[in-house]
Amino acid sequence: MAETKILAFVCNWCSYGGADNAGGMRLKYPADVRLVRVMCSGRIDPVFIIKAFERGADGVIVSGCHPGDCHYTAGNYHARRRFAVFRELMIFMGIDPRRVTFSWVSASEGGKWRDVVSETVERVRALGPFEGYRGLTGRQHG
Amino acid sequence: MGELQELARKLLADGAVKVVIGYEEGPRGVRPAFITTPKDADRLVFDERCVHNLTMYLTPTRKHIAALGKPAIIVKGCDTRSLAGLIRQSQVKRENVVVIGARCGGVLKDPSVKAAIAEDTVADRCRGCTIREPRLVDHLVGEPKPAPPGKSLVDQKIDELDAMTPEQRLAFWHEQLSRCIRCHACREVCPNCFCVRCLADKAEPLESSAHLRGNMAWHMVRAMHQAGRCVDCGECERVCPADIPLRLLNRKIARVIEARFGHRPDDDPESTAPIGSFQPEDGQEFIR
Amino acid sequence: MTRKAFITESDVRALAADLIAAGTRVVAPGRVGTPLGERIEYRVANKVDEILLGQDEPARSLKDFFLPPTDVILAWQEKKDQVELTPVSSTFAPQVIIGAKPCDAAALEIVDKVMDWDYHDELWFGRRAATTIITLACEGGDRSCFCTAVGLEPSGTRGSDVLLTPAAGGYSAEILTDKGEKLVAAHAVRFGADKGADEARAFAEKGRKRVDANLGLKPAEVRKWLAGHFDDAFWKSIALACHGCGACASVCPTCHCFDIVDECEGLGCGVRRRNWDTCQTAKFTMHGSGHNPRADQSSRMRQRVMHKFCIYPERFGEILCTGCGRCARVCPGGMDILEVVSKVNEMACGGAK
Repeated sequence: MAETKILAFVCNWCSYGGADNAGGMRLKYPADVRLVRVMCSGRIDPVFIIKAFERGADGVIVSGCHPGDCHYTAGNYHARRRFAVFRELMIFMGIDPRRVTFSWVSASEGGKWRDVVSETVERVRALGPFEGYRGLTGRQHG
Repeated sequence: MGELQELARKLLADGAVKVVIGYEEGPRGVRPAFITTPKDADRLVFDERCVHNLTMYLTPTRKHIAALGKPAIIVKGCDTRSLAGLIRQSQVKRENVVVIGARCGGVLKDPSVKAAIAEDTVADRCRGCTIREPRLVDHLVGEPKPAPPGKSLVDQKIDELDAMTPEQRLAFWHEQLSRCIRCHACREVCPNCFCVRCLADKAEPLESSAHLRGNMAWHMVRAMHQAGRCVDCGECERVCPADIPLRLLNRKIARVIEARFGHRPDDDPESTAPIGSFQPEDGQEFIR
Repeated sequence: MTRKAFITESDVRALAADLIAAGTRVVAPGRVGTPLGERIEYRVANKVDEILLGQDEPARSLKDFFLPPTDVILAWQEKKDQVELTPVSSTFAPQVIIGAKPCDAAALEIVDKVMDWDYHDELWFGRRAATTIITLACEGGDRSCFCTAVGLEPSGTRGSDVLLTPAAGGYSAEILTDKGEKLVAAHAVRFGADKGADEARAFAEKGRKRVDANLGLKPAEVRKWLAGHFDDAFWKSIALACHGCGACASVCPTCHCFDIVDECEGLGCGVRRRNWDTCQTAKFTMHGSGHNPRADQSSRMRQRVMHKFCIYPERFGEILCTGCGRCARVCPGGMDILEVVSKVNEMACGGAK
């Protein structure tokens, strides 16, 4: 199946380490994913996800530390509430939630990172490119 | 002179406040009024046409009103939730405003049309109202009134949308949001939109163009920023020059928040906001 | 050069059907259903029975079809060491507007002046050239209408190519321009010999009287007063309820300010757009330094009134307002331009109207 573009927002302390760990373990996963490292999953504003789709992403992965493991104590708990609401909003607006994966991946979970990416890529490839979203500029009055 | 007008006159005459923010008769029905002298107090009116949520006039963004001096404000029960929100979010100090609560039995859809409150005339948000008696007040005027009739049609519409296929929902929102011209009037009238600089006023990340892509982003972001804060006063929907059903979004999110976090916007300035707080045991069935 | 003819309502629809069948875009008032109820808007008509030939005023003006809320003005693509620009075409396919309000048609002529001032706006005039406008005379609107106070009329011909005025059995048609003549000639079968002119005159007279009662204005006096009262306390007093939401400007047929933005459409490519903007928001005049010369809402409200009734008239000899009343109808703060201008008029004329 054709390659898709998946943008992953990962926290500096756990999930980025998890991705690094996957590399260190020589684990293989599809090259569809591009990582953006942020300091904490609490920094990931839902608008980042919207922006990713606007700019050509076909899928988005959001990943942070497991509950209780946040480097900043509670950033991921705040993120969790926000994403819970945002996910329901996406569904309410008719945007396919299968294009976004929310996950907790610790710095030692290289294997889980590989699985999260592989599953997401498989799902998004099946859905196809998200051209419908970035092409929404078509409407013109005049 | 009625109870309300007499109270306003006295507050102004005693120098307790410099301005009374209330309602008056305008060329097209009832409208916001700013009474600064005792003799003008008899201009004040309060009836079922007073649909406006006046509390946004208390936010620091309204410099021209702050410049008048200490305000008194007329609020309905529902408006006190906005007021509580502004106090909770450090935008208003309770002691800096005199709050005049007016007992309400529901308002009309349109402030320019005089009518009795009935099933087909009452504003949708008033249906099923549980906060007709303002509590966060210094003075309370008016007699208790019966509950407004009917059941919210917005809730019904949300149920309808929820039952649709994703494609149908998307088509619905595309149709609604294609009318948006990105004037941001929904933001300007919102008591919760007190940011000095809005995300939408920057070049990034939101596209300011009124194409569907920009409009989807704006309305999702607006709805998210209202999460847990919106009190469903309906001002955004009332002002929209394109008649976009914005309450559907706000109310949907309020329902999600109530279901997941057990929170409802209330009139208690001390209560905790659901977004900005958490419970370690919050549901995470959607997280891998 | 004007001549008169007659057309029945069914022939108006048949004319629209002919145009649609020939691939011409037809814009006309129509009902738009929303969950909040029905609204009337100018919209592209796909079927003739969607066309409303009534007296209800569309919620928004015609400007959407000449200056869209967002409009691409060029595309750009980064090449190795340069940026390639692709302009958009300023030639447009023909469109016919049927059932325009006379005030909305007049607004286009008023805005023409600024669009052909220091810069000839190709996109505006491209659409203007491609458009033929058939207006429908107005019976005089509601209490917020004041077209007669700003030099227009409910049955006015400004900006129209053909004016239809209700008369027994249809409309008396006044063919006003070459464009109108061309359209009528191409569809001559739909038009009959001139009749109903007396009825049309009576209709126009009735409409004029009805609007006249709303507001009398001495525009020159108003302009003079405004020019001399920039710092008047009046401005502070009228702007208190203003939210600065700009709903007034978005429904205004003559407000024409826009902002320019560049939007990426991928790596190294994108489009430049112009988007509606309004002087009623704080950011409109915000400088990069953080200084804002229009620091409060009263100065922004003043700008709106000044621009419409003083600055534009001084520069172009036209009031930048058609008295359509839309701004008063949408204002969430209950502000009313008619009330504001009539107060200015009172002050300008020394209390006597």
